[in-house]
Amino acid sequence: MPLIRRDPPPPAGDALPATGGLKSDDPDTRRRAIRSLGHEPQAVPVLMGALEGESVPAVLEAIFSALEMIPDAASPLASLLRSDDAGLRNDAVEALQAMPDAVRPLLPGLLADRDADVRILSVEVTRCLPAGEMVTLLCGLLEGDNDPNVCAAAVEILAEAGTAEAVPVLRRLAERFKSLPMLPFAARVAIERISGAGN
Amino acid sequence: MHPEKPPAPEIRITDPEFRRFRDFFYRRTGIVFSDAQRTYVDRRLTDCIVAAGSKGFPDHFARLLVEPAEMERLISAFTVNETYFYREDYQLHCLTSSLLPQITAAKRPGQTIRLWSIPCSTGEEPYSIAIWLLENWPQVDSWDIEIIGSDIDSRVLQAAEAGIYSERSLMRLPRPLVARYFTVIGDGQYRIDAELRGSVRFSRVNLIDQGETSRWRNIDVVFCRNVLIYFDEVSRRNAANNLYDSMAPGAFICLGHTESMSRISPLFHVCRFDEAIVYQKPGEAGHA
Repeated sequence: MPLIRRDPPPPAGDALPATGGLKSDDPDTRRRAIRSLGHEPQAVPVLMGALEGESVPAVLEAIFSALEMIPDAASPLASLLRSDDAGLRNDAVEALQAMPDAVRPLLPGLLADRDADVRILSVEVTRCLPAGEMVTLLCGLLEGDNDPNVCAAAVEILAEAGTAEAVPVLRRLAERFKSLPMLPFAARVAIERISGAGN
Repeated sequence: MHPEKPPAPEIRITDPEFRRFRDFFYRRTGIVFSDAQRTYVDRRLTDCIVAAGSKGFPDHFARLLVEPAEMERLISAFTVNETYFYREDYQLHCLTSSLLPQITAAKRPGQTIRLWSIPCSTGEEPYSIAIWLLENWPQVDSWDIEIIGSDIDSRVLQAAEAGIYSERSLMRLPRPLVARYFTVIGDGQYRIDAELRGSVRFSRVNLIDQGETSRWRNIDVVFCRNVLIYFDEVSRRNAANNLYDSMAPGAFICLGHTESMSRISPLFHVCRFDEAIVYQKPGEAGHA
């Protein structure tokens, strides 16, 4: 019979010294080194350092997968929302969404950030929270934020997963931005969806 | 006259106990239960508590922390182990008509082709792969084919090694194949051929434990069907990373028909074959 059975191989001997493997020219070696770092808080600065100059998707995936399993990584990941690299920003959003307990205390500050682009990405991160918490945070933002793009991002999420508490806030938003037709329109669509009048 | 048995204690799982159990089970297995599954969890957990003779949740939970056998029984109770031979056989068609031709094109005859069924439950899937290859792949004699079956539940692995199946497990298998590869052992039970039993290596592996999956390398085709749906996003991504590292460059992974790797991880390419959609690790096949 051509079917063969072998005993299990010994544990893979690829637990490379992380600091050496991380500098390797070979992406597989770098990836293995990343994955050998474990998920303890002390791995966070090493993982964040490994992001610098890294462009191979499989290595980046290993880095972000490791970071999202370490609650202490939430704050460094949030700092990537300011990155000039769109890929890093998006990966950071995904990683932060995967760690709701760790990101929860950071969100009020991120949603009040001076940088509107950071606020837009932070609005995306709120998708990871239970609906009640997400609505509270986004409604708070909509009451005070003056950037139409930030508000539009929040309205879009409320249209998908908002609850009745958001309706009066959306009405006030439409009034506040009545000179910008796009926002009152988006708010009306969101209200209709939340109220069950539209799909 | 028999003395009356004392009534079983009424076991109730409180809300904090449910949450504690849910977190504990998730950390151990990667399987996450939602609030909507509360009734299901309560029923299974209560059954385990009664069967183990524990006094209640606190007593049983304390035992779970120190008694590996109880933990095994718990995992077994909460993992769905029902399967049957030739389940989702379109992927077996895909294996022989599309995947193996690509894999063997980059190998030399006589080299090893390594196939991994994880989770393999009671063995129906890895044995199905073996039977399918013997019956449907003309080049089968030109290669060393290594089939590995792995599962987190060591009790189902024992059953897999015993290779005894009910009529129900064999319902999709053509009768001539049942006659060729099984022996009736009575009471609607069949035992799979000893040679086949000896050709599949079973091993306990927790898919989300990198230390356990890393023992397996250079896998050419992974069958990982209907398990990732039970994991939360972080565990799914972790499992995908573990599988990726165990696979050879150019290797393929088959998921259940309702699952999509594209929604889990960007590591794999989508391959649309006539018979099935499968996912491929980038890189050229052809390692030893």
